[in-house]
Amino acid sequence: MSIFERIAEQVVAGQAGEVKVLVDQALSENISAEDILNKGLVAGMNVVSEKFKNNEFFIPEVLVSARAMTAGLDVLNPLLAAANVKAKGKVVIGTVKGDLHDIGKNIVGMMLQGAGYRIVDLGADVSKEKVIESAQKENPDILGMSALLTTTMVYMKEVIQGLKEAGLRDNVKVIVGGAPLTQAYADKIEADGYAADAASAIDLAEGLLD
Amino acid sequence: MQAGQIPILRVEADTIPRAYEQAIKEVWEKGISVRTEYDRPEDPPSRDATAVIVVRDPFGQPRFHRSFADGLGGLAEYVMEVVHGAHDYWVKPIEEILKGTDSSDTRWTYTYHGRLFEYRVEEETIDQISAMIDKLAGTGYTRRAQAITWNPKLDPPTDDPPCLQRVWGRLCEDGMGGFVFNMNTHWRSRDLFKAWFENVIAITTLMRSIADRIEKKVGKPVRVGRYADISDSLHIYGSYFREIEGDPEKGIKSFFEKLESRSFEERTWHSDFVKPHFIDDGLGKGLKPMLERETEMPSNVRQAIGQELRSMEQEDYVV
Repeated sequence: MSIFERIAEQVVAGQAGEVKVLVDQALSENISAEDILNKGLVAGMNVVSEKFKNNEFFIPEVLVSARAMTAGLDVLNPLLAAANVKAKGKVVIGTVKGDLHDIGKNIVGMMLQGAGYRIVDLGADVSKEKVIESAQKENPDILGMSALLTTTMVYMKEVIQGLKEAGLRDNVKVIVGGAPLTQAYADKIEADGYAADAASAIDLAEGLLD
Repeated sequence: MQAGQIPILRVEADTIPRAYEQAIKEVWEKGISVRTEYDRPEDPPSRDATAVIVVRDPFGQPRFHRSFADGLGGLAEYVMEVVHGAHDYWVKPIEEILKGTDSSDTRWTYTYHGRLFEYRVEEETIDQISAMIDKLAGTGYTRRAQAITWNPKLDPPTDDPPCLQRVWGRLCEDGMGGFVFNMNTHWRSRDLFKAWFENVIAITTLMRSIADRIEKKVGKPVRVGRYADISDSLHIYGSYFREIEGDPEKGIKSFFEKLESRSFEERTWHSDFVKPHFIDDGLGKGLKPMLERETEMPSNVRQAIGQELRSMEQEDYVV
């Protein structure tokens, strides 16, 4: 089994300590950070995404694998930055104001990261002002908003309106998701896309930035 | 059973994950179809039953199922919420709740910890868990050691009243000079598929904390005994059916196929694996990130969670 397969296997198993050891080992064998990222960590998260999509993995397992991937990324990030390796795109994500549920948002963030995107996570209970500030500072390709409550999902419309007023709406694709949302609601608030689950969010991002 | 009669199911298992899986299977196969306030018009009616679930050894391993609706760090924070009142400061003051509903105010109307440890009766605040401990330490076989959550003035008008209703406990001699702490909890309503497991991890951690406090008071060993979990309405929401049934045409496995395709070890975790994730899940959740993030948490609660964190970092501590 190659070092890449071993890294991927440990990402799938959620063994953060093992992943870090193997990434260090790969670097000591003069393997590039980019190869370790794509052929090891991302390959592992792709397996996790596929298993989750097919209802073969449970939500906590995805997060445990994400932690393992992050342990490897922490080692690689300075090297990737030094080598000027580009991400597929930058995504700002957050759960809207008044809503503290962040599990769906976290899974989407981790899966997008695993698919090669750079994630700026604003957390939960995020105000319109904070989103606009981040859109100005980070200049993301995609803004992802999540809500779990019917009472908080209406805030997404306010955020989109805020982006328009700030002259930022055309610079960023807005995608939305969360248990109470539907495609019809996403259309109504003029979002660029809606994802019913985390795996679909990756397909949606790929399609929008294609 | 006659149409319209809610079935009464009984599940008994050694560990929490075993009981959880058996309960899902029982409710799915034998539950009645009935609507709930949370169903959307397009959802099928929920599957529902009255149920008694017994876990013979709540800290038996593996203690953690891998199927629940959060991460391990989030679960750790929920445990702190129930056992130490981590989020009691998110609850509206009782006077504001009584004034009526303000839809823009997203603060909570209760926490289990708040109701169990600081139950309000008129102007008085009662620590029911300490009272239970005192009662049991004095007369272990008492049948009067209990704590309630329901507030008949506050809860009926709200959209989200407490599901847990009552905690009851009793000590029995273990025949070796010590005691066994048996605990029952009674729940009005229960989301089996996405809440039961996390509820039980938290409430059995509280159970152990009660046993430890009694042990200190009586000066004799008090070990955690069987846990009985009684729900008036234990249900699987219609909105989850897609997840449970899967989609054979798209190759998406059903929940039961997912269980059968992996060994029990592969669908559960041992406490040793879980502990580092409880401390810090690397994704911003867990005890350490919680203490860093929640700067407005009262200092006494922060101290209690800090103490829990230090205990957790000891090798022999079981989460």
